[in-house]
Amino acid sequence: MDEIIYMNLETSPSLLLFVFFGTVTVITALSVIFQKNPVVSAVSLVFTFFSLAGIYGIMGALFIATMQVLVYAGAIMVLVVFVLMLLSQRAETMSRYRKHPIRLVLLTVFVIGFFFLLYSALTTGVPHSEQMGKGYENAEYSFPIQGTATVNAKGNVATVGASTYLDYLLPFEMISILLLVAVLGAVILAKKKLTEIDQTKDTVL
Amino acid sequence: MNPVINGIPVHYLLGLAGILFSIGVLGVLIRRNIVIIFMSVELILNSVNLVFVTFSKALSHINGETIVFFVMAIAAAEAAVGLALVIAIFRHKKSTNVDELQSMKW
Repeated sequence: MDEIIYMNLETSPSLLLFVFFGTVTVITALSVIFQKNPVVSAVSLVFTFFSLAGIYGIMGALFIATMQVLVYAGAIMVLVVFVLMLLSQRAETMSRYRKHPIRLVLLTVFVIGFFFLLYSALTTGVPHSEQMGKGYENAEYSFPIQGTATVNAKGNVATVGASTYLDYLLPFEMISILLLVAVLGAVILAKKKLTEIDQTKDTVL
Repeated sequence: MNPVINGIPVHYLLGLAGILFSIGVLGVLIRRNIVIIFMSVELILNSVNLVFVTFSKALSHINGETIVFFVMAIAAAEAAVGLALVIAIFRHKKSTNVDELQSMKW
């Protein structure tokens, strides 16, 4: 397998693009956790999401790339930045770890070891890695319609859509109920109690 | 199993996903700001999405990409509830530092 990989490591443009987007992903992800100002962390996270969308695009998963930009870089980051602005953050100190550099070093060593365990588990533990997937091709999915022969869905978006609505219809409906419950829970959690309104009228929130 | 996706070896993609997951875990461990811990959890979810898409392409099986869609929906629900909790806790404690949120400490 290694020979195949090294044979293909010529200057293909998709590999160069992957290296670029991967570098941007790692640098901005490090920036997320090491910046002192939470708003700068949020902006770095937006860049991480966009470069991950680029990687999905290179791999040919166009639906996922679009959803990454719409859902993560759009909706979730707007929510996070909105809450950050609402909370009047101070720049946080990491003094607890500056005072104990040994603890920071130990944590970093632990996380690096954790990475190698994770990587080896991922690369060796693929189930059924020798056989191809059944019933699906990468950009084509055939499904039966009543009274006709099978119909092919072609292209990435149509394939993902057919798989969602034919094989995963019940999880899809359950996701909609979950989102409804989450929105109701968020409203109940974030609203003030009626009796507290008079007492907290002069505070910030 | 197809070891190269569009000229990108699967090892590289899995390595990038592992690096992202580890950065997310490090962020959860060293930061004390509850919103940044939240962003680190988003990084972890994104690395899992990358692994799903990689195996979906490598095994020529579309189910991985379908599951990524569900992961995104659950991440959106988690963001709504988690940030509402952050606002409720901030209103109660006037702080977003997790070291000061120890009323449930046993």
